[in-house]
Amino acid sequence: MTAAELDFFLQASVRLGIPLALAALGETISERSGVINIGLEGSIIAGALGGALGALAFDSAAVGVLGGAAAGLAIAAVFAVFAIGVGADQIITGTAVTIGGLGITGAVYQARFGATGTELSLPTLGAVGIPGLERIPVVGSALFDQAPTAYLAYLLAPALWYWLQKTPAGLELRAVGESPDAAKAAGVRVLRVRFLATLFGGALAGVAGAHLALAHAGTFAENMSAGKGFIAISVVVLGRWNPVLVLFAALFFGAASALQFFLQALGLDLPYQIFLALPYLLTLAALAGWVGRARAPAALALPWESE
Amino acid sequence: MKSPLARLDGIERRFGSVQALDGAGLEIRAGEVHGVLGANGAGKSTLLNVLGGMLQPDSGSIEIGGAPVRLASPRDAWAHGIALVHQHFTLVPRLAALENLALGGGRRPGLRSEVERLTERTGLGVPLDAPVEELGVGDRQRIEILKALLRRPRVLVLDEPTAVLTPDEIEGLFDLLRELASEGVGVVLVAHKLDEVLGVADRVTVLREGRTVLTAPAAEVEPDRLVRAMVGEERADAIALGISDGDAYDAVLPRPAAPRSPRETRTEPRDEVVARLRGVGHAGRLHDVDLELRRGEIVGVAGVEGNGQRELALVLSGRVEPEVGSAELPAGIGYVPQDRSTEGLVAPFDLAENVALALHRAPDFGRGPWLDWNALRERAEAIRGRFEIAAPSTRSRAGELSGGNQQRLVVGREITVARDLLVAENPSRGLDVAAAAFVHDELRRLAAEGVAVALVSTDLDEVLGLSDRVTVLARGRLHEVGPDERSREGVGARMLGGRRG
Amino acid sequence: MRGCSGGAVADRGDGVADSRGGGSDSRDGGSKPEGGVAGGLRVRRFESVLIALGALVLTAAAGAILLALGGHHPGEAAAAMVRGAFGSRATFLSITLVRSIPLILAGLAVALAFRAGVWNIGAEGQLYAGAAAAAWIGLTGAALPALVLVPAVLLGSLAAGAIWAIVPAFMRVRLGVGEVITTILMNFVGIHLAAWLVHGPLQESRGVFPQTDPIAEAARLPRLVPGSRLHLGFALALVVAAGLAVVLRRSRFGFRLRAVGESPEAALIAGRIDAGRVLVVCFLLSGAIAGLAGGVEISGLTFALYEDLSPGWGYTAIAVALLAGLDPLGVVVAGILFGALQAGAGAMQRDAGVPAAWVGVVEALVILAVLALDRLRRVRRRGGV
Repeated sequence: MTAAELDFFLQASVRLGIPLALAALGETISERSGVINIGLEGSIIAGALGGALGALAFDSAAVGVLGGAAAGLAIAAVFAVFAIGVGADQIITGTAVTIGGLGITGAVYQARFGATGTELSLPTLGAVGIPGLERIPVVGSALFDQAPTAYLAYLLAPALWYWLQKTPAGLELRAVGESPDAAKAAGVRVLRVRFLATLFGGALAGVAGAHLALAHAGTFAENMSAGKGFIAISVVVLGRWNPVLVLFAALFFGAASALQFFLQALGLDLPYQIFLALPYLLTLAALAGWVGRARAPAALALPWESE
Repeated sequence: MKSPLARLDGIERRFGSVQALDGAGLEIRAGEVHGVLGANGAGKSTLLNVLGGMLQPDSGSIEIGGAPVRLASPRDAWAHGIALVHQHFTLVPRLAALENLALGGGRRPGLRSEVERLTERTGLGVPLDAPVEELGVGDRQRIEILKALLRRPRVLVLDEPTAVLTPDEIEGLFDLLRELASEGVGVVLVAHKLDEVLGVADRVTVLREGRTVLTAPAAEVEPDRLVRAMVGEERADAIALGISDGDAYDAVLPRPAAPRSPRETRTEPRDEVVARLRGVGHAGRLHDVDLELRRGEIVGVAGVEGNGQRELALVLSGRVEPEVGSAELPAGIGYVPQDRSTEGLVAPFDLAENVALALHRAPDFGRGPWLDWNALRERAEAIRGRFEIAAPSTRSRAGELSGGNQQRLVVGREITVARDLLVAENPSRGLDVAAAAFVHDELRRLAAEGVAVALVSTDLDEVLGLSDRVTVLARGRLHEVGPDERSREGVGARMLGGRRG
Repeated sequence: MRGCSGGAVADRGDGVADSRGGGSDSRDGGSKPEGGVAGGLRVRRFESVLIALGALVLTAAAGAILLALGGHHPGEAAAAMVRGAFGSRATFLSITLVRSIPLILAGLAVALAFRAGVWNIGAEGQLYAGAAAAAWIGLTGAALPALVLVPAVLLGSLAAGAIWAIVPAFMRVRLGVGEVITTILMNFVGIHLAAWLVHGPLQESRGVFPQTDPIAEAARLPRLVPGSRLHLGFALALVVAAGLAVVLRRSRFGFRLRAVGESPEAALIAGRIDAGRVLVVCFLLSGAIAGLAGGVEISGLTFALYEDLSPGWGYTAIAVALLAGLDPLGVVVAGILFGALQAGAGAMQRDAGVPAAWVGVVEALVILAVLALDRLRRVRRRGGV
């Protein structure tokens, strides 16, 4: 492997890992509060469309990111109303929200840009190098010459870890995810914590979607989220619900996805579809190898009523 | 006379079709220990949860220091100086003790030293940095009390704190409560054991069927009057006349623990051993247990909760294979689990389907891969009639039955399969007096028919009252109690050796 | 306070931990346990029908509002949809019923799994596995007579679907990894596997399009109604539905399956039922039926494997199963209804200019409405709030 190839591979790993990291970090927070949001995929695709529409309307990628966050949050709000407010099953609600999210983005997109979908050209989130850091050998340019959303992920991971472990609010959130009855007895407003955590997760998934549209593709396509929401949920499990580990797990899967470009570049004669399936297979293998030792929040996926 | 710290009046609260509180009241004064008595289901916990802001009443008034208030959440209650120590632990198992103490209290940098000062003063020492799930029940109870005391309450409410404590620990707790009262705190203590409450309380309030039926100074009220208040005049008379089972009386009265003589109904010794455990260890909670159960005897297993009762019951009932040692078990085992509503029954299943849970393998109730639902429904109908289960038909869902009727269904079903051995785990917990008496009768009858009965119970009086032979489970080890040790004190001493943590 | 959603992420199902809150005073405890979600959604028939009808009304109302917001005319869209689905005997037989076949079969797969508390979100991948197996057998067994080849194709698709379920079943029971995520991941693997087959080893002999050659005539299911496209697969789906209904209601295994689904704790403690074994059998059976959905589609309708064969039938199946209250016979009705929805979507797009993507929105609305009404039923039953 030449230095240029390695550099290309690492660059691609981080680029592909960042949207996973953003979505997974948000999902980590909502899962630590006891809410598994299978509707994350819906938030991501909505974030991609919201990002595209926002960026287009204001001719600004930054506004696009905000639009993505808002769209992701809106989808998560639908999920939260049913899964937390109504107390419906989280898995089924999340599945419905994903189906609905993919449907409504497709419908809006077709209504706005026609049934065939004219090729969109969006203002893109360009890479911003961090002076000094980007010159670190081997990993410097891969890690520190990325879109601004990447730096958001880098900063969020340790910040969320600190918030969870060291602040009273983080303690309350963990208590809600472990034992909502106990948290209530201690005076914590369980449903409010879960709502906020889920909305936060949805907003970050929206940013992840905006990143897909604005930093990767420079366009929007139906179903462009391509299962990233589900991989992000796996990444949370692999990162053992610890934000810092979750970031690393996301980058690992970025690398798994980047293998397709890399191995192709090496001229390996493996069919393209096998590379597409590779991240999913690796996720399965990693789940099989790792999870036995990890413990999910005890109240994860259990609906809770206040009395 | 001191002015009341808190007053609840005319409190009503429904859960679905159950009127849990129907005009209950309670007045708490500064400097008193106030005992709240009542049979299971009388509404004690509901009333205290209202006081602690955990439940909202449908109607009624709450006054704190003379001013009417609304307690919409535990936070509101704390703001008014009320702290509640719950009957069921409300700790987060995976969080450290200190984190549990910090929960809900906002940012408190000096918490650790504050807790240390408090433990020194009260003698409630606990390991602060260990996850609560690794601590024993005694430690957990202490953490609950510390959590309440950290709020510096003017009214401290303890809901059945003694259930998980050994007799010695109970004394220590009562000393602390008296001391708190002498500092001007109003202490509310709930128990369904009369003697415990009378030993510490200045005043008592009795609840029956959701209503307050009596409030009086503890020193001025006869135990007999309290019992009548708790169970109702009619039933108390019936008990006194011997029409109803005396057990009902025993459940609330302190009973002289005399060794029981063998029952007259047992005419011949039935020495056949039907179940034998040898050197059984399991899940790190049972160690080297040897036990033989013979036909026709009731063997009581006493002990403080969390000392391996659950594992012993699971092994003895054949639900799990012991990890260490051997278990020789008979074919016809019935098991009445403690948690009837989640483990004994499938709530959305109807009566016949619940009966089928125990019979779905029986050749008599099906053919090849198919079940014979007519036969199963007939059996369910027989159980419904024989055990007087208050349900319109065998098509009623188990989840719609009251707690007592659920227990009748479980006991009835398990008795029909317990040809050799019945394992009963806290079989009367949560039942009212009549239902508990019914269960006890059935256990006796079954033993008289030659079935071995293992009675695993944390209720010492139940064990002493029913068993032919008494054993104590402490720290996962089983100790036989000799006839000369058969008293609350003797068994209590055995239990003490076994407190975990 | 209630629930038991099975192993969402890390399995919490089978162990009998000592984490029993210890329900004491029945008066003091608040709500009664209602069993798992699977239990809650499986209700008495009349309630289930009421919920389904209510959900359809709610969906129609919400869908109309959303369509209006999207600048469409709800009335025109509905009219176009009905025309497309029920306009004539031919459209009903050849489009609506034909579309309903994979939905009914996949819906049965999902309903069976959910009844046992197995969150098999993987019908989509299992369906692709079944389709791939059917295509492969249909291509390679061309020399065999129809009496052998058709059963071989169907059995192959059953087996392939079951094999696709083995990985998640194993991971749930042996490794404690919840099946929700693993089944979804297997979906993507299945989709890419089919894509690889039609681009690679099974690509048509001309090598132009990403699809297989047509399977042998002897591998094709006969038509059920001459002159229409309705094939034997519809009858097969009805047979599977009836069979499952009988097994669930009458057989020892069906009883065990329902017990494990309603309450794994009670199944173990009161029923002495090995939940792990029941779960594995049920998982494989569910996968097999989903695989059959794919096989029937190949041998009854398309006669070839394509990339993007399924427009998400495996996910729509969840809506089908829930609308049916997880009742096998209800799945038939719900499957036909969703078949009509998909059949009508084409007409809606053509005649009323409403993008077909709206179908996804409608499916989501149906699921959410069922969930909301089911909660309402429970709250009412409990008499609380």
